[in-house]
Amino acid sequence: MQEAELHDLSDDADYAASQQEGSASMMRCYSSKLSTSSETEGAEIVYLKDNVAIHPTQYAFERISGRLKLIKQGSALFMTWIPYKRQSTNAKLSEKDRNLYTIRAVPFADVRSIRRHTPALGWQYIIVVLSSGRNRLAFPPLYFYNGGVREFLTTIKQHVFLVRSVEDTNVFLLNDFQNPLQRTLSSLELPRAVSIPSMPSTPALPRESTSHENQERTDVGISDVSASIPQYNGKRRQKFHDPARDISIQVLEKFSFVTKFARETTSQLFRESHGNGFRPLERRKSNQSDDYSHKPSDDAEGVAVQSPVAPDPVEVYVCSLCQLIALCNNASAHLSMESVLGHGPTGTWFSTSIPGNLMPTSILVEQKVPYREHNRDGEAATNVGTFELISYKEFDKLSLVWGKPRQPPLGLEEWATFLDSEGRVVDSKALRKRIFYGGIEHKLRKEVWAILLGYHTYESTYAERKHQRSIKKTEYETIKSQWQSISPAQAKRFTKFRERKGLIEKDVVRTDRSLSFYDGDDNPNVNLLRDILLTYSFYNFDLGYCQGMSDLLSPILFVMEDESESFWCFVALMECLGPNFNRDQSGMHSQLFALSKLVELLDNPLHNYFKQNDCLNYFFCFRWMLIQFKRELEYEKTMRLWEVLWTHYLSEHLHLYVGVAILKRYRGKIIGEQMDFDTLIRFINELSGRIDLDATLRDAEALCICAGEKGADCIPPGTPPSMPVDNGLLYSQQDEVL
Amino acid sequence: MSYAYLFKYIIIGDTGVGKSCLLLQFTDKRFQPVHDLTIGVEFGARMITIDNKPIKLQIWDTAGQESFRSITRSYYRGAAGALLVYDITRRETFNHLASWLEDARQHANANMTIMLIGNKCDLAHRRAVTTEEGQQFAKDHGLIFMEASAKTAQNVEEAFIKTASTIYTKIQDGVFDVSNESYGIKVGYGGIPGPSGGRDGSSSQGAIIVSFVENYGEEKWRKYGELIYNFMVY
Repeated sequence: MQEAELHDLSDDADYAASQQEGSASMMRCYSSKLSTSSETEGAEIVYLKDNVAIHPTQYAFERISGRLKLIKQGSALFMTWIPYKRQSTNAKLSEKDRNLYTIRAVPFADVRSIRRHTPALGWQYIIVVLSSGRNRLAFPPLYFYNGGVREFLTTIKQHVFLVRSVEDTNVFLLNDFQNPLQRTLSSLELPRAVSIPSMPSTPALPRESTSHENQERTDVGISDVSASIPQYNGKRRQKFHDPARDISIQVLEKFSFVTKFARETTSQLFRESHGNGFRPLERRKSNQSDDYSHKPSDDAEGVAVQSPVAPDPVEVYVCSLCQLIALCNNASAHLSMESVLGHGPTGTWFSTSIPGNLMPTSILVEQKVPYREHNRDGEAATNVGTFELISYKEFDKLSLVWGKPRQPPLGLEEWATFLDSEGRVVDSKALRKRIFYGGIEHKLRKEVWAILLGYHTYESTYAERKHQRSIKKTEYETIKSQWQSISPAQAKRFTKFRERKGLIEKDVVRTDRSLSFYDGDDNPNVNLLRDILLTYSFYNFDLGYCQGMSDLLSPILFVMEDESESFWCFVALMECLGPNFNRDQSGMHSQLFALSKLVELLDNPLHNYFKQNDCLNYFFCFRWMLIQFKRELEYEKTMRLWEVLWTHYLSEHLHLYVGVAILKRYRGKIIGEQMDFDTLIRFINELSGRIDLDATLRDAEALCICAGEKGADCIPPGTPPSMPVDNGLLYSQQDEVL
Repeated sequence: MSYAYLFKYIIIGDTGVGKSCLLLQFTDKRFQPVHDLTIGVEFGARMITIDNKPIKLQIWDTAGQESFRSITRSYYRGAAGALLVYDITRRETFNHLASWLEDARQHANANMTIMLIGNKCDLAHRRAVTTEEGQQFAKDHGLIFMEASAKTAQNVEEAFIKTASTIYTKIQDGVFDVSNESYGIKVGYGGIPGPSGGRDGSSSQGAIIVSFVENYGEEKWRKYGELIYNFMVY
């Protein structure tokens, strides 16, 4: 029975098809080896789970169910996941799709970590990250419809060395040769061509010639890469590298979610070049010391002198995707890639060369051996062979675009489809998602903003909203009358009121006066700004008035065109952003702190740069955070950004990721020009009016997804615009100036 | 634009005293009462000439509201000069001077030159602070003092330039180690006239220097500029 099962594996129609298509050259190595040796040694299925599925897209009908197995053969453990043949659930699933996702006998010697995810709703799933030296791959998440994750892990533990990460209890590490002796021993083992299971995760010998070529190169990006290699190895030797803390792994895990399109593209590429049958691992020679001792001069001077700009870790990964797609679109066979972004047993998932989160390299695109003439275009020696480099200049062009393309704004007709006959929003999440990706047409803003901001609930009907408007109007008038009824004689004895009023009056005439809506002498809208702000300072007397509030109110009044409506929408906005204006600046400090932590997570080299240059207070981003980029974008774009932020679709703190996205866009310039605090703050100020909102939003989306829970952990509780914790007193202000 | 020296200035004072208007009047020679209020900091720059040397003023215009003080404090670092501004028509802005001065003393370098400006002197009929009071405060605290009007441009040019010449004198007297940029002074082109006199128009000398720098680069100018300059003078 067990042997029959095993034979099933190689006799599987999918497998045969893949052989024909040649979509998995590496796989062939594993599988043939497996089936060959099975004849002599026998193999045993130690774990079998049905209804383990992958979700290539968000649509349920495109989910692919299959059977997950652990197979023990000799001392080695393998994992397979074979999708069920065409049946029941997904008739649409093509043969190609099935091949794309099939996992064929991956030896656990190649697995670096397994992360277990237990969502509050939905199925438990795992993400398996492979490690082939510097080439890492992540399989798509495997969803256990029938449970069994625990059993799966327990079974693995019985057969291979599996440890739970200290940092993250949901991460299980394999093959982490922490012990130097153990690593040395493992590096002495024979190459995998001879012995499959005992593949050491050590870099191999680089080719001498290429390293010399690199030395002569003047291109900064390229020398940077070669320089980073020894440094990387040095780091790895010194420090236990825990994947739970390793952003690169997390990013890889995130990439395991990338769209079907990208997977197909990769797969296609892989197939095109497969015929050559080049396998980098065959060239591997496990000689660690040689690897990190090559080009010693780089350690001394190369890093500092030749590569002032450390590469952007996330960009490296994200660009790999861009590059991939760009390559597919480019029919030119000139490069004739063996593969893009490395090999894997399935040849479909993403892999990059990742030296940890400290000094990532450029994307390395593997080059075929026969194409020696490409050397002049730049090559770098790595453990896996010779790579052609895509220079950083090309990356600049590609830049960081990974988020989904922006959509046209939500229009009237489409808006109607989100409502039931009485005006309730039927699916608020779908609506928020729609607005997240496209924003709202201006004429519709008046209606939708009130809901997005929480002034009206999603469940409210037309009639209820109308009713609320009239009630709230009365309420507003009541609050307004509180300050309107203050007589001159009373005001004379009410310093705080006089000061507040004076400040607001001074500021409303300095708010967006270049807009026709607010321009000219005695503009009634300017008076409305004043009245609303003064009324707000009575409604929320503890917070009072602070500069920046008029900037936040201005677009709201512009959209709502009604005093009371604008007031209540402003109140709703200030429920979230109010702490930005705390007298002690605590809200702003937590914003800037969160921003710095996110940069630390998503761009460690940039973070280190800021650290070295005493810029970690992030005051250069103060205006961004305080008024949510209002002064950085044109008026229309500000409104677009805000409605996207207000959806709280991916995160309620998307504005922080927007900040990170902009910083990352200019990281090369910031680091390259060695900007100090003063220069940086002037530079950031001058970006005003020059920010491409759509591209930035896409970057922000990608970064937010990349950062995942780790990103959320960077943001201290209560950081605006989190909803305030209701503990009675909202703002405890010192009775000081205003 | 090249310069013999670059001075960093910071403009401080209560909100609404006219800091941004003073800056705009100085850099653009115009008065614009309806500009947006300052959030964080805004920047301006202008070339002036002192002792026949082009000096670039890089001016930081800060937000005045009390809440933003902690942010403003970080801007003092490396400022060579400060304009401390109050509004002669609003007594409270004068009353707050001491606390501004305290901030400046605490967060700027001790040799920073501070100019006290009583702004809006065109509104003499609404005056709430006398000229003498301003003078006395300046005297008590070792500041230079002027009343000015960003609206009429009265004394605006003078205030900025007087501050610069005070700093320049301090350099000549060796008060500053100009190689240490924490004093808010940067030396450009070895302290000799740069390629341009800035907005004051460039002389034919300046034109020659521009072409030299364009053709041979700043490095060479630093090396040979002195020689060429002397040659041109004699």
